[in-house]
Amino acid sequence: MADITFLLIIFFMVTSTFAATRGLDFALPKEDRNPPVVEKEESVLIAVHPGGMLEVDGRPIQIGGILDYLKPKLERNPNKPVIIRPDPNAAYGDMVRIYDLLRSGKDKGLEVRNISIPTQREIDQFWY
Amino acid sequence: MRLQARIRAGAVIPTASMADIVFLLIIFFILTFNIEVDKARVVLPKSELRFEVPKKAAVVSITENGQMRVSDGDAASTAVSSPEDVLSFATGVIAGNPEKEFVLKADLNVPYKSVDRVVDMLKQARVPVVYLLSDQATAESGGGGG
Repeated sequence: MADITFLLIIFFMVTSTFAATRGLDFALPKEDRNPPVVEKEESVLIAVHPGGMLEVDGRPIQIGGILDYLKPKLERNPNKPVIIRPDPNAAYGDMVRIYDLLRSGKDKGLEVRNISIPTQREIDQFWY
Repeated sequence: MRLQARIRAGAVIPTASMADIVFLLIIFFILTFNIEVDKARVVLPKSELRFEVPKKAAVVSITENGQMRVSDGDAASTAVSSPEDVLSFATGVIAGNPEKEFVLKADLNVPYKSVDRVVDMLKQARVPVVYLLSDQATAESGGGGG
């Protein structure tokens, strides 16, 4: 029996991996031919540039200042859309950092309810 | 003067508890056993907020050099050559189970355009939710709070 148990242990040790099994959920909107029109002035646009540089509504900003910038706007309109628009050459990790910041804003007293990350095709199709 | 030979105690390794330890190890491995369907090596982005990914979720992985692999969550992942292949794969998976969750396992340094194309294909395939696989951010790693 000891042999079998040792074989089992060796099997589990070799085949098991401590795989990453957690992540940020990202609900994809249903494909909509006629999406609701959002006026530019109604939303906050966060641009992510290569190298991790950020712009909010056209102004450069540090990541630590984003929630402070959003706070008065979301207090006036809690459903204000916040759009993340990463540059095609920006690193994916920088986009996740911003998305995580907005999603975890609830724990810091600022819930961002309406976050969207349009794809390039949607931008080409619907952006004005 | 006559020297008396020292009486040495024999070295004994206690093995009585070995079976208990081995069984505990087996139970640990059985409980934590997780077959990794995708073995693509990527450095995951870090996030403060992390949710448990549903078991058997379909996986799309993108390595730093843009190589893509897909898995339906049951079989081992296979390489695909273009985002259009991801679309046909995802369409097939969603046809079988419209509520199937997908996991995006992408390297943190991959250019966003590669991720953008894949996410767009998943949207077109009507995937309801995608989990962006991540590692836990720590204060030193400068996660979301940066």
